[in-house]
Amino acid sequence: MITNPKLSDWRENALQFEQQINHVLLGQQAAVRAIVLAVFARGHVLLEGNVGVGKTTLLRAIAHSLGGDYQRIEGTIDLMPADLIYYTYINNEGRPCVDPGPLLKQGEKLSTFFFNEINRARPQVHSLLLRAMAERSISAFNRDYLLPHIQVFADRNRVEKEETFELPAAARDRFMMEVSLDTPVEDAVLGELMFNPRFHDTDQLIGSMENSGIPYYQLNDFAQTLQHSIQTSPKLRDYALSLWKATRKPQDYGIRLADVDMSQLLSAGASPRGMSYLIRCAKTCAWLEGREHVLPEDLQRIFYSCTAHRLFLNPMYAYRKEQLLPELVTSILNQVAAP
Amino acid sequence: MRILLVALLLLAGCSGSNNQAVSYFHIETPRPFGYVIGDEIPQRIIIETRPDVTLQTASLPAKGPINRWLNLNRISVINTGQHYQIDLLYQVFYAPLEVKMLTLPGFKVLLKQGEQTDSQIIPDWSFNLSPLRELAVRKSDDGEYMRPDAAPSLLPNTLNVYGLVVSLCLAFLIAAYLCFLYGYFPKLLRRTLFKQALRKIEALSKSDMDQALTTVHQALNSLYRQPLFHNQLSHFFQLNPQYQQMSSELDWFFTYSNRYFFTSGMVVVQLDLEKLKELCKQCRKIERGSQ
Repeated sequence: MITNPKLSDWRENALQFEQQINHVLLGQQAAVRAIVLAVFARGHVLLEGNVGVGKTTLLRAIAHSLGGDYQRIEGTIDLMPADLIYYTYINNEGRPCVDPGPLLKQGEKLSTFFFNEINRARPQVHSLLLRAMAERSISAFNRDYLLPHIQVFADRNRVEKEETFELPAAARDRFMMEVSLDTPVEDAVLGELMFNPRFHDTDQLIGSMENSGIPYYQLNDFAQTLQHSIQTSPKLRDYALSLWKATRKPQDYGIRLADVDMSQLLSAGASPRGMSYLIRCAKTCAWLEGREHVLPEDLQRIFYSCTAHRLFLNPMYAYRKEQLLPELVTSILNQVAAP
Repeated sequence: MRILLVALLLLAGCSGSNNQAVSYFHIETPRPFGYVIGDEIPQRIIIETRPDVTLQTASLPAKGPINRWLNLNRISVINTGQHYQIDLLYQVFYAPLEVKMLTLPGFKVLLKQGEQTDSQIIPDWSFNLSPLRELAVRKSDDGEYMRPDAAPSLLPNTLNVYGLVVSLCLAFLIAAYLCFLYGYFPKLLRRTLFKQALRKIEALSKSDMDQALTTVHQALNSLYRQPLFHNQLSHFFQLNPQYQQMSSELDWFFTYSNRYFFTSGMVVVQLDLEKLKELCKQCRKIERGSQ
């Protein structure tokens, strides 16, 4: 039970915000919950999903509901870092002009930035994005531009691998979580998406949403309040620490996977930054569940999303990544007890 | 006069010097029959020499094979003054097909006195050697050849057998108990999870609530074969439907445990511990199949 009135009020708004998005994006409750957690934990999100499942709709709905500005850029192989900062053109009078690019255009009002198919962009672009994500500022035109409310959502195309650049470990680690959006499987949802004209026009769909009453410019301050208000007990800390250690040396926790030498499986486990993100998310999860203390279930709920993209397998097992990573994370959760 | 002449002749006879180097020579041999292949035959030679005469031990046969069927296993010489005792131990390796007479070869022992050398001949010694195998007496092809020895009667060992059986049973019981302690009988262990948990928490007080809750958690985890959390209770009941009747108690347990371990300011009362013990007792009954 939440006793802090501010937390309680914001929780009501957050649940309404989640409900609105679920109303726009059908059959994606788990993904929507993860995104809402990231919004209130102030973390960047790596999206993974097939084309046309509603990633852009989701992000536009978030931006619309929070009230901040939204920008989107397509990752292409010839995209250069400067393309994010400015673009040049010849104006009506025939003069060359320089205008701010997608990152600078909205200035401090930019709250949602969607980088579509980030793995098609070159590493130079990734490095620019790293600074924008980590420091929420970029340098351009001999000065620093602050982007205090920016939240980056990046999409990875997992089907096509040609002409793509795998995100470096440092870039992946800066994302709080990786959220998977899959095509819904329920016939009722599929039927609704196919035949209900409401879902055929995205602009109209987004426009029909009400404002959630959550001011995007207060999210940072609120997230700080939330992180200080939600408590973690020593037992919970022990449990989280065990989970972290198990991502580094799973064999020490009796975790065994078929046809895998566990001591050789991982080249790197979860980072300290990753684990701090995990706790931030867990606290947000506890808050959304109406508690002022974190339970192991909160950690379990977001463990895969917050951890899987930080685990790096040795090259000899990398080709089985799609199979081994979920098995490993599930095994960790099934082996570590609390208390 | 005649008597005087005889006495002079006798005196002349006695005053003549004795030139023999050996004053006493004797060979002690065993029975000359009843030997079979592999038998050892001792021979003792005793020689007493005159003063200043020494026996040349180098002239004695050397230890080792004498010929293709005879071996000299040991030779020792005991010398006390002019008395020499030579002990020889031969071993026969001849395999006769019928009783055969063989001969231990003689040799010559050299004796030395100053520059002069004398010798004492040790003569050959013959003995009978019997066949060990019955090849020579086999008469028909269908006769039994190489008959085994009669089986010896067994010593009474009943007590030893009983001791062995008891020891083996004891060792087996100890091994089984060790395996049980090490958890090598997971099925059996899962049949006594709450029995052990109950035994542990019976002795605890409300100040040990941490330990009591952990004990019950561990029992449930073992039963579920992985850590069991509150939100997995429905799956737990699917796997263990007999515990479905305990759903409200287990729900209370997990809520209470979450409050105890993960919130602050929880006050434990005696009633909580009693409730936990009661839950454990009920689970024990289900585990035993009596409920």
